Amino acid sequence: MESKILEMFVPMTLKGLKITLGVFLVTLIASLPLSIIVARLRMSKNKIISFIIGIYIYIMRGTPLLLQLMFIFFGFYYVPYIGYAFSRTQAIFIAFILNYTAYFAEIFRGGINSIDTGQYEAAEVLGLSKVHTFIKIILPQVLKNVLPSIGNEVITLVKDTSLVYILGAGDILKAAKSVSNKYSAFSPYIYVGLVYLAITAVLTKLLAKIESKYDYYR
Amino acid sequence: MVLEINNLSKKFGDDTVLDGISFSVNKGEIVCIRGKSGEGKTTLLRCINNLEVPDNGSIKINNLYLFKVEDGSVHRAAKTELQMIRQEIGLVFQGFNLFPHMTVMENLMEAPKFLKLPTKKINSRAFELLKQLELENKCNCYPFQLSGGQKQRVAIARACMLNPSILCFDEPTSALDESTGNQIFKIIRHLSTQGIAIIIVSHDNGFVDKIAQKVITLSEGKIIVGK
Repeated sequence: MESKILEMFVPMTLKGLKITLGVFLVTLIASLPLSIIVARLRMSKNKIISFIIGIYIYIMRGTPLLLQLMFIFFGFYYVPYIGYAFSRTQAIFIAFILNYTAYFAEIFRGGINSIDTGQYEAAEVLGLSKVHTFIKIILPQVLKNVLPSIGNEVITLVKDTSLVYILGAGDILKAAKSVSNKYSAFSPYIYVGLVYLAITAVLTKLLAKIESKYDYYR
Repeated sequence: MVLEINNLSKKFGDDTVLDGISFSVNKGEIVCIRGKSGEGKTTLLRCINNLEVPDNGSIKINNLYLFKVEDGSVHRAAKTELQMIRQEIGLVFQGFNLFPHMTVMENLMEAPKFLKLPTKKINSRAFELLKQLELENKCNCYPFQLSGGQKQRVAIARACMLNPSILCFDEPTSALDESTGNQIFKIIRHLSTQGIAIIIVSHDNGFVDKIAQKVITLSEGKIIVGK
């Protein structure tokens, strides 16, 4: 029985991994740089920009990602004037990127705020431009400070990818569910749990390696 | 004259921090500004370095106006002028403010590299300064690996990279022991003999008496003694 379960589980999971890892990677690659821009806009001296970004972050953090997925896929079509029917893949990427950008932006905002004003002043008296100061002086120090918190979110993201089931996408959790339904067995859920743990183990190791890369200074 | 300050005033809210300050600094001169805490010394230094915008008066650095009020309207140096002024003046912060993620050499090279000066030229300038300040074996160290005195010397070297004609120090001896303070004294003297005007904000009377060629004493934002 168990061998039959595995026979069905393995190929389905491998296929599901493409969705799980695809959502994970695209979200990460798009939302990390976007979140730095959003964090800067949130800190803008222009009150209107800062307010609008504040509202966006509030909505993203104040409502479940599951609801956001459903709204973008099912609900956005009915929004007057701007309504549009997104495909399933588009809806998944948009919801995940918007949601994670908001969370990452708040982490970066905290990181940027933690940098001593003396660093900005030193750059200013040396005649460095604002953009150069941010990219070469501030950002590398911010990255070191925010890495542990970003790491936390990255691990959460792996598990959040399972929410795509609501739009009918076939990720690894859906694979487990299908096998479980077919054989009326619980073991596929144990196996998929092990797959999540394996992904998390690899990421934890990778994050620790990146963190140690920043250990060269204090 | 490398620096001319005329009738400079600055308020923070209702609090008048600088009130009609006027003085000038000549090439190679060592000028000390002293006064109790909160009397406006650091604000004055910050105004000269464009980290604070005055409310009134004028600041002229090497014949370029950093700030002036004329016929009631405020004029601040335009971008290109400001860049020229920035190269004429350096500041060594009280807390040094070195970039912690960069080596000593990288700290020195950052501004000239940003200005796209020839690498060969800035390399030799950096080595020359590090040698002068006895830091040549610290090129690849990060700031956290240096002592307070070494950090200050790196900050001095960094401020001197673009050959400024004025170098400002905010409380240069406050974080140093006596022997390191003496070392800084010698370095400052040496820089002034090279023609660099030095402006020092300090409440260390012993240090000021020893080094100053001109002393400006501030009280409640006004110059009470200038000699």
